[in-house]
Amino acid sequence: MIGGSQQPWTDRTRLLKLFVIILSSVYVVYLFSLQVVRREEFSAQAQKYAIQAVNIPAARGEIYDRSNTAPFVTNDEAFSVEIVPAEITSAERDLVFARVAALLDIKVVEIQKKIPEKYYHLYQPISITSSAGYSVITRLAEHKEDFPGVYWNSRPIRRYLDVGSLAHVLGYVGEIGRDEYKILFNKGYSANDMIGKAGIEKVYDSLLKGTDGHILKAVDVKGKDLAVDQARVETPKPGKRLVLTIDKSIQQIAEKALGSRMGSAIVLKPATGEILAMVSYPWYDPNIFSSSKAGDEYAKLLADPNNPLINRAVQSSYPPASTFKTVLTAAILEEKAFSPDAKIVCRGVLDYGGRDWNCWVHSPGHGPLDLQGALAQSCDIYYWTVGRDNLGVDIIVSYAGDFGYGKLTGVDLPGETQGMIPTPKWKEQTYNEKWTLGDTMNISIGQGYLLATPLQVADMIAMIVNDGIVYKPHILKEIRDPETGALIQSVEREQLSISSISKATFAKVRADLRGVITVGSAHVPVSTKVVEVAGKTGTAEIGLKDRWHSWFAAYGPYNAAPEDQVVVVTMIEASNPWEWWAPYAANVIFQAIFGGQDAESAAKAVGVNLKGTVVRGKAE
Amino acid sequence: MKQLQLPKFISDIDYSLLAISTALIAIGILSIASAGIDAEGFRFSTEYIKQMIWAATGALLALAAMTIDISRLKDYTFLAYLGIILILVYTRFAGRLVNGARSWIGIGEYGIQPSEFAKITTILFLARYLDASEQMSSFRRLIVSGCIIGIPVLLILSQPDFGSALVFFPILVAMLFMGKIDSRYTLFILLTVAMTFVLLILPLAGKYFFAGGNLIDLFFQRQTLVNLIAAFLLVVLGLSAWGWVSFKKKYYFWMSYIFSILDLSIAISFVAHKVLKEYQIMRLMVFLNPNVDPQGAGWNIIQAVTAIGSGGIAGKGYMQGTQSHARFIPQQSTDFIFSIIAEEWGFIGGIILICLFGAFLYRIVSLIETTKDRYSMLVCSGFFGMFFFHFMINIGMAIGIMPITGIPLYFISYGGSSLWAAMTAVGFLLGISARRYRM
Repeated sequence: MIGGSQQPWTDRTRLLKLFVIILSSVYVVYLFSLQVVRREEFSAQAQKYAIQAVNIPAARGEIYDRSNTAPFVTNDEAFSVEIVPAEITSAERDLVFARVAALLDIKVVEIQKKIPEKYYHLYQPISITSSAGYSVITRLAEHKEDFPGVYWNSRPIRRYLDVGSLAHVLGYVGEIGRDEYKILFNKGYSANDMIGKAGIEKVYDSLLKGTDGHILKAVDVKGKDLAVDQARVETPKPGKRLVLTIDKSIQQIAEKALGSRMGSAIVLKPATGEILAMVSYPWYDPNIFSSSKAGDEYAKLLADPNNPLINRAVQSSYPPASTFKTVLTAAILEEKAFSPDAKIVCRGVLDYGGRDWNCWVHSPGHGPLDLQGALAQSCDIYYWTVGRDNLGVDIIVSYAGDFGYGKLTGVDLPGETQGMIPTPKWKEQTYNEKWTLGDTMNISIGQGYLLATPLQVADMIAMIVNDGIVYKPHILKEIRDPETGALIQSVEREQLSISSISKATFAKVRADLRGVITVGSAHVPVSTKVVEVAGKTGTAEIGLKDRWHSWFAAYGPYNAAPEDQVVVVTMIEASNPWEWWAPYAANVIFQAIFGGQDAESAAKAVGVNLKGTVVRGKAE
Repeated sequence: MKQLQLPKFISDIDYSLLAISTALIAIGILSIASAGIDAEGFRFSTEYIKQMIWAATGALLALAAMTIDISRLKDYTFLAYLGIILILVYTRFAGRLVNGARSWIGIGEYGIQPSEFAKITTILFLARYLDASEQMSSFRRLIVSGCIIGIPVLLILSQPDFGSALVFFPILVAMLFMGKIDSRYTLFILLTVAMTFVLLILPLAGKYFFAGGNLIDLFFQRQTLVNLIAAFLLVVLGLSAWGWVSFKKKYYFWMSYIFSILDLSIAISFVAHKVLKEYQIMRLMVFLNPNVDPQGAGWNIIQAVTAIGSGGIAGKGYMQGTQSHARFIPQQSTDFIFSIIAEEWGFIGGIILICLFGAFLYRIVSLIETTKDRYSMLVCSGFFGMFFFHFMINIGMAIGIMPITGIPLYFISYGGSSLWAAMTAVGFLLGISARRYRM
């Protein structure tokens, strides 16, 4: 270090040295004041410090039907049993484990798996089971001295009370998954929360879950409870009660009417968009998700080839078949594309594009039919002809869009599919083939690439009933206070779409739909006398020789004001043996609703066996 | 190979610097080992093993840095600086998201923080500039130096990593000071940073720290009043600047000086208020009164100070610290590692550690005094600023008299990038010390 002060910068280094000395001294002195002068104070503080927050779960909201009298979904008391390992001395550990195993009817090795050696010193509770019954808890409480370190906690289980086909609408709950938690962690969820996984439980989870409360209590450095006065308690806010638009009795009627046939049924009020019933078969019991076998049961449902987890009313789309002729009818009238009085002769078969197009009534066919007759008899040849020659694909596609096909309805259920309206552009992009007039003919009778959900078909009828307005279909009716039942919010009807088709056209379409029942294809099955029904049948080809999808879309009472109307859509998949069941099911539903009967009595009244009959050959 | 002259090289190395660094690294490894044990003696973390690996590999880095003659390579420092800037840009956009910031890049489990190395390359490059620009005006050198550190600072701030960006300011101040920039300018920077900090925390201090209805709170609630004052100060600055330019009187110079400090602080703290969330600003000021938020931002400080205070004179013994072992102190192996040392080794341990750091810094200053090469001197000054700031803030944070800015304690805190950077810096310093008698 010789020759140090010769550089031109060394005069400034004095300042740097000064800083170092000042800083070190200040810190040493401050440290002295902390560690020597105030040592006692900190020692005491170190002994007592920390605050633990114990969660108080909020009660999940119940779900009621529209009458708000008894809940569909409620919470059951269940108990969880926990062990705090550090509170058990090593001498008694084996004995206590054995006692707990015997009490809960599980093997000791399961407890040992949950509490390995490295946890023996922990003051944290470890859950052994979360579904212990009341008797287990009483035994624990009565013999507390035999069970040191064993605690119990009430942990409610979601209970679905005999909901039957409402499983899809209601959904179910499960533990929040890691991916869901990553997104929702700052929206009031914690890692162990239950969250709705399907249906209403999922869509309105934030309303149902409420807000958890907690107790803040002081623990010492090792985690033990300090017997100090109970620190702050924040009471939980229970989840809201949800009242659905579903009418329990109508749901049961529709469920019985559909029976054990794969398909769906929807009953809704067109004047408000409220869904009175939604059935999708097969359904399942959502209570399985609260049991200890939840994993196995869920795997079974997933593996079932009939896909019980799918809500066929909104999550499946099918060719709407002849129900789509309603759209064509409206288009013909509004566009004045073809005179409603002009007749086309159906000879049973049409030769076009080098192949035979057969009407469902084979040769000699229906004979001459005008528009009303064609709809009533559901003549394919009439609609092929007019669709191909007088309307064309662009107009048909435009009217289909008007009626809501190919669009989501926005119903408050998850996983809705939007169906499909094919267009020439779409066909070229997807198949690299040009649109042909044959394709136009196909969609004119609701086949080809056209796909629709039963809800979309119901909304088509609703638009006709309402003279051009569709109200958004919804399941939630009201939000109410969980304790008092007082109304918090009512869901108002919301206009989903409005069409510019004229009132006169709609009136004519309604009359034509009535014709389907009075003189047309539905005359035999829709035999109910307690209400006048108007609607359209549909039978969709899917390539099988003796099975078809069976549709029926209708409303009633005919000529009543829209507020009093009810829309019914029934849809039976082709996977069932052919019974032409859709219109029969709808018949039973209308009879039951307007006759004030249950499904069995209604079926008897109209002479229908709910178990059905197998019919040969295509009926329509 | 006349350059290396190995025997002289080896004998001229500053061995006390080497010894102190080694001692600090060893203390670090021991402390991290203790931080990885919980209250029941159960080892829940093997960070100390990783730290040993970082130390071993870091020694290679130090060796490499030592053999480089930085004076001869000073013209290439621009490339190193540019390289790190590009890496910082990449990190900002493609780096891994850790704790809400993109400061890391890596493969699989292993990663580094480029911001640590940015400090070193910036020091090397800035030293080059200051060395070459000796004849230029102080003002001009000030502006250019500001830009040179401005680029990495902005990139690092955008990650966002507030603490690492902050270190560049003491580095700048130290290097400007030793680079013979007019003291008024270095003072300007210091005052601006201090004022910005004060203005940053003042509104929240008024809201939470002082009794209700206090003047500060009332003032900041009225946005129009605040805007009015800011505009007024801006106008005064304008007038002073015009006055100085026109009349060149000293009086105008000082007015411009003071008001540009005020206005610059206002501007920066305004931007900071928009960018930082309230809880982040609270974290910075909670050290003034941790009991304002004992379960949130104040928790770290209260726990750390309690741990330190309860250590007493001789500490609780190695691996016996109750607070740290009860996992009460968050980040106890990184930002708050000093709490473990003070808790377990007591006041005696604390003094020894502070003296070691003090001696380390003192050795750097001695190096500044004895090295004959101006470039090396400036590099040493930069390292002085870097080590000084980390030492001051980190230990100050743990004892509760400095704001929480999340920067590690060099050599001691767990962390590969910071250890490597520190050891590389030591390598450079040793290399400078070995060559200090050359002209």
